[in-house]
Amino acid sequence: MRQQRSSICNTVNKITIFPVKTSVLALILVIASTAAWGAVGCDLNDPDRDVARLFPESTGYKTAYVSIVQKGGEPLLKKVETRLGDTFHGIYETIDVPYTIYEIFAGKKKIGYIHGVNQKGQFGGIQVLVALDLEGRIKAFYIQKMTSKYAGKLRDVNFGKQFLGLTLKDFDLYDVASGKASGKVDAIKNPAPEAEADFRAALRATKKNLILMDEFIYLSQATSSSQEAPKK
Amino acid sequence: MITKFQVAYKNLLRKRVRSFLTLVGIALSAWVLVSLLGFNQGYETALNKDIDNMGFQLMIMAKGCPYEAATMMLKGGTGLKYMKESIINDVAKEPEVEKTTPILMQAAFDPNKGESGGIAIYFGIEPKTFSQMKTFLKFRQGQWFTDDNGFEAVMGYEAAELEQREVGDKILIPEKNVEFKVVGILERTGTQDDGTIFIPLKTGQKVFGRPDEITTIGVKVKKDADSTKLEDRLYKLPDVQIVSLAEVKQTIMKLISTAKVMVLSIAIIAILIAMVGVINTILMSVHERFQEIGILKTIGAMPWDIFKLIWIETLILCAIGGVLGVGMALVLSRVTGMLIRYVLPYAPIGGLVVIDLKLVLITMATILCIGIVSGLYPAWKAGRIRPLEAIRSDIG
Repeated sequence: MRQQRSSICNTVNKITIFPVKTSVLALILVIASTAAWGAVGCDLNDPDRDVARLFPESTGYKTAYVSIVQKGGEPLLKKVETRLGDTFHGIYETIDVPYTIYEIFAGKKKIGYIHGVNQKGQFGGIQVLVALDLEGRIKAFYIQKMTSKYAGKLRDVNFGKQFLGLTLKDFDLYDVASGKASGKVDAIKNPAPEAEADFRAALRATKKNLILMDEFIYLSQATSSSQEAPKK
Repeated sequence: MITKFQVAYKNLLRKRVRSFLTLVGIALSAWVLVSLLGFNQGYETALNKDIDNMGFQLMIMAKGCPYEAATMMLKGGTGLKYMKESIINDVAKEPEVEKTTPILMQAAFDPNKGESGGIAIYFGIEPKTFSQMKTFLKFRQGQWFTDDNGFEAVMGYEAAELEQREVGDKILIPEKNVEFKVVGILERTGTQDDGTIFIPLKTGQKVFGRPDEITTIGVKVKKDADSTKLEDRLYKLPDVQIVSLAEVKQTIMKLISTAKVMVLSIAIIAILIAMVGVINTILMSVHERFQEIGILKTIGAMPWDIFKLIWIETLILCAIGGVLGVGMALVLSRVTGMLIRYVLPYAPIGGLVVIDLKLVLITMATILCIGIVSGLYPAWKAGRIRPLEAIRSDIG
């Protein structure tokens, strides 16, 4: 059975811009979501549908909300920024942004995660979501929302396919500030050279997404499993 | 020589606990009185402000046109109806009309927002007249656009948040392939304005291909004007519908009048309780000093002197109690306001209990009047005590 919780800070569930079919639901959620957070997170528009699409083998999911301020505060922010090679900037990329992590299950077994981040694009917000397996490998890449003249090309399935199998290790070789990459990330082709800014924004969002998942999930799992390991 | 005031004061000190409890009773009554009157005043002011913050009390739309963003979205951004901008001149001529503002509502579809695409709502406005109507709109960043024909935009709080926009950034209407520069971001208002993108009216008309057309006229009605009459006349304009918020205002004002009567009734009960308390205390005091008053009269005190002495005691109690009560009300006004807000199903924004100098003076005058009236009977009774009878009696 799929578990779902109403999303508190779903950016798409705001008054201005709505998927047409879900406008009524969105309106209700807008009323319920008045500023519980100072900043805005990134949720799946339709978790039941989207989880099944991004993780076809899944049978259910759980939703968890975390933020840098909860998980480690200023020191964690500095660490994330250092790993990203860029500072958080603007009035929306802040320490208190609530990140929604979908834990994906097949029966009772956890099989992966879906996580999204908001990224400032040239003409609007970009919502970049990745589906990850338990080792942090990208299983699916999905730009949920993008405002750009070339958004269609960047949201195309073939663009997303270039990210499959990549890990944070691959993105460590991508320099967010200069946009220079080596290794597998360098092989990702921009389908819309006219929208270079949005292409780079998508790569930055992916790297940030993977770093946050590493800090929130994978590192803490590694720590706890090493503590649980039997002493020889 | 010791004055009557000093004698009265010393008399009160002789029974400190009783005098103190009477003071507390008067202070509590004064507190209730001033707080209730302050609430009466504050609530009405805050509510009026809330109503004013609605912006316009009337909206004139082309017949069949959705008048709010929610309806527009439910219809997928379609179904908009237009009217000629020149209608606004006819509306402005009406004597009840204080201000008007033209609005062109538009919805633009973006296929790249979610799986099924999404709609963005744009309002073409004249910042000069629109901001005068919606004075509660405050800027988080930037300001209104200055060029009526410019490609500039002001974004509602949530629209900006969703699009991660700041002043200086660009936005795009994909359907039209037109770029705008963000010049302002509004603070959150809790209204549909939060999700709206405002652009200059003339530019909006150009971009959406609606020259000299608008969808809405916002109308602010003069205070105390008969908006029903105005509505009747406006309905005579061709092919328009009127959406009125005036009825909401009138209903709220009726509710206020009912609340006022209730509040005043409670205040009167509080005053009566205080009066009975004061009369009781002073009568007890007179009764206990029956012999003493008799002796005073024997050594030459006239009935008027005794009357004044007892009266002054009452006034001292009421004056000190009144000052304490007003002080308590002033200090605790915020707490009182919070309690009222917690209890009431709807409370307007702003201070609910407003205590000003006029209210303080009215309360003090009321409490002193209570003192004067309450002291009359005990003082009169004390003044009529017969000296020999008092000295012979066992009382006091």
